[in-house]
Amino acid sequence: MKNVIKQTLIASAAALALSVSGAANAADGSYPSKTITMICTHGAGGDTDYNARLISRLLEKELGVSVVVKNVTGANGSVALTQYKDEKPDGYTLIATNTIAMASNEASGLSDFGYTAFEPVAIYGKQCGENIIVKADTPYKTLDELIDATKANPEKIKLGIAFGGSSYIAASVIADEKKSQFALVDAGGNAPNRMTTLLGGNIDATIVPYTIAKEYAESGKVRFLATLMSERLPAAPDIPTVKECGVTNLTVDTLYGILAPKGTDAAIVKKINDAILKIVNENQEYKDEIRRYNYQDPYALNVQDTIARLKAQRELMMGFSKYLN
Amino acid sequence: MADFFSLSELFSGFAAVADPMVILFIFIGVFVGIIFGSIPGLTATMAIVMFLPMTYVMSPIQGVSTLIALYIGGISGGLIAAILLNIPGTPSSIATCFDGCPMAKKGEAGKALGTGVVFSFFGTIIGIIVLALAAPLIAAVAIRFGPYEYSTLSLCALSLVISLTGKDLIKGLISGLLGIMFATVGLAPVDSAKRFTLGMSELTSGIALLTLLIGLFAVTEVIKAAEEVRNPLKAQVKYKNVSIRGFGFSLKEGLAQKWNLLRSSLIGIVIGILPGIGGAISGMLSYTAAKNQSKHPEKFGTGIMDGIVASESANNAGIGGAMIPMLTLGIPGDAATAMLLGGLMVHQIAPGPLIFEKNGVEVYGIYGAMFVAAIAMLFFELFGIKIFIRVLKLQKYWLMPIIMMLCIVGAIGNANRVFDVWNVLFFGIVGFAMIKSGLPHVPLILGFILGPIFELNFRQAVQHYLIDPMDVLSHPIAIGFFVFTIFVVFYSLKRQKKESMLISEE
Repeated sequence: MKNVIKQTLIASAAALALSVSGAANAADGSYPSKTITMICTHGAGGDTDYNARLISRLLEKELGVSVVVKNVTGANGSVALTQYKDEKPDGYTLIATNTIAMASNEASGLSDFGYTAFEPVAIYGKQCGENIIVKADTPYKTLDELIDATKANPEKIKLGIAFGGSSYIAASVIADEKKSQFALVDAGGNAPNRMTTLLGGNIDATIVPYTIAKEYAESGKVRFLATLMSERLPAAPDIPTVKECGVTNLTVDTLYGILAPKGTDAAIVKKINDAILKIVNENQEYKDEIRRYNYQDPYALNVQDTIARLKAQRELMMGFSKYLN
Repeated sequence: MADFFSLSELFSGFAAVADPMVILFIFIGVFVGIIFGSIPGLTATMAIVMFLPMTYVMSPIQGVSTLIALYIGGISGGLIAAILLNIPGTPSSIATCFDGCPMAKKGEAGKALGTGVVFSFFGTIIGIIVLALAAPLIAAVAIRFGPYEYSTLSLCALSLVISLTGKDLIKGLISGLLGIMFATVGLAPVDSAKRFTLGMSELTSGIALLTLLIGLFAVTEVIKAAEEVRNPLKAQVKYKNVSIRGFGFSLKEGLAQKWNLLRSSLIGIVIGILPGIGGAISGMLSYTAAKNQSKHPEKFGTGIMDGIVASESANNAGIGGAMIPMLTLGIPGDAATAMLLGGLMVHQIAPGPLIFEKNGVEVYGIYGAMFVAAIAMLFFELFGIKIFIRVLKLQKYWLMPIIMMLCIVGAIGNANRVFDVWNVLFFGIVGFAMIKSGLPHVPLILGFILGPIFELNFRQAVQHYLIDPMDVLSHPIAIGFFVFTIFVVFYSLKRQKKESMLISEE
């Protein structure tokens, strides 16, 4: 028994020494000295994953150590966030997620914590945005025309959404503010499903990310009516925002963020943030790839702005939570 | 049509594949794929999952070709274990066991393997041809499928499977319902309500299909082996000097299968196109279709070529089918093509209706890679069959720890969670308990896959119905599926009654 206690004491002393040396690392600038694991909260091949992989590949060059992406998926990212929020805060485990998933999971009650359970490191990307689209062979040219049609013909025009998702929030806010009378139907939680359902003629309108709909719009099958982003997308300046269309309270900006477990040294957070800002703002390879693949404009925030942005987004989404329960 | 058959792009696509490095990667991919396919519990999907990260550093054509080679090798490799061990190496070879194993028992193992290999090849080629010619047309039909069609189709498939597998309808039904129940764990479709999560955050994402499959097919095998350890069965593959002479069968025997090949390939392609259904069902359906169309249905299951031809040409043709919605719509038809889709996106090839215009070279490169992979598969399995039999001949006490380790690696690889390891072990025990109580495994797996498809689409269909009840009448395909389902249920009830009367008379 004594032995056990002794061993435990030695082990905890060792652990303490390690953690002290971890802090020292950050202070004396020797962080990072080993492989960093980047947990991606969404599946391989998606936009969150793409952003995480691109930034980690370039972070490797910037920080001089390997940055390995691991996808831990499920429940719109909340599985990974729950699993890694209490990870050792030594700067060697980081979490790449999209902020709207984190905020809407908290607002809908799917998870019981938000960004405050972490040390936010950086917002390092802004998605090209969710868009309200209709089939090109329908008569609706603007969001207003579509909304007027629902009033003339209540509960008949089918808007395909994912209940509880950001498309559902958007539909609810539009109904609240513009008195639209869509028949809401579930058309699948992932955007390609909603796209097919629209193309197959099973719904009249839906809400999908720009990347998904772009090709169909170019081939003349669908028409963009409005984007849910706060500002027009630089890659598609012709699509008006829902705000411009008169839905004043609706903005859904999907941002890509990196988080560290709570308690991670501020010096480490700053160091990673600096490296990210440098890549996003200065690295030509990054700028070219992110524009070509995801139609994103390079976008990154420092630590204070990141926290402020997450706070604002959380408040906005919590304001929507009345629609979510 | 000119857009789809640009000669210069066709040429540059094939030229890209003719690169020696690409051909090397395809051959390695097929070889590894066959090994994954032939070892029970390892699947084509697993092979793709494990190799996907390695392709990130390759060129787009190299990466995509490697993944496709793994897929084709993996699906085809399943026939080896199905014939020699009576265990499907991959779920898509389930129906290959039915006649493959009896043939091997009759001393015709070489013929059975040759039949499987050659008709896998022809199935793949037919799949590629249909993919290349009909992709735009077929996609236009599949895209019209909405909630009514999917809900009736999954109901139809589920009732077919329950009535087909096993002799006992009740046990099939229990197994199918178990599968549907396991699938309800996690977030409900439509409203994302948490169900049966027992307060565990890990369960909110539900049970992953891969962990269920690894558990049922691999861990169960390990437990079974552990049970038999005190009275070991002699070497697994009992057949000595298995070799394929020529193709293993005569030209005349081969030609006699031409309609079976065509019918089964078409079934495989159609099932492959429909998202979420996959190889296991296409093999079963084409086997049943072949049996029903045959002049000698009573010989099925006793060891005839027809059964192997039906199953193997269907599951390999399904690869081409599954590629159709994946390439033209960006919608994967099964787990393996979902991985391929991820692989394409990483290489900036955006699947969608404009893929021919934007990435024409890559699309033709994919056709070319599939063709080369089919030839590599034929080559390895005809001339290298002994290597893969060696893999099967490994003593169980060597093999089982390795399989167990790979199961665990595969479980973690699914989502990087230790929780999935416990899942795999749990389903291993469930699978073992099912064997002990005489419940077939297949309805459980299909219930697990089809249950959520049915639930989601049924709930969506109800929403559509409430908006406009008369709208149902404009969905004749859905009505057709429904009528066929009713027919299947009544037919199997009648058959069951007849069989039980026969038994009681005896």
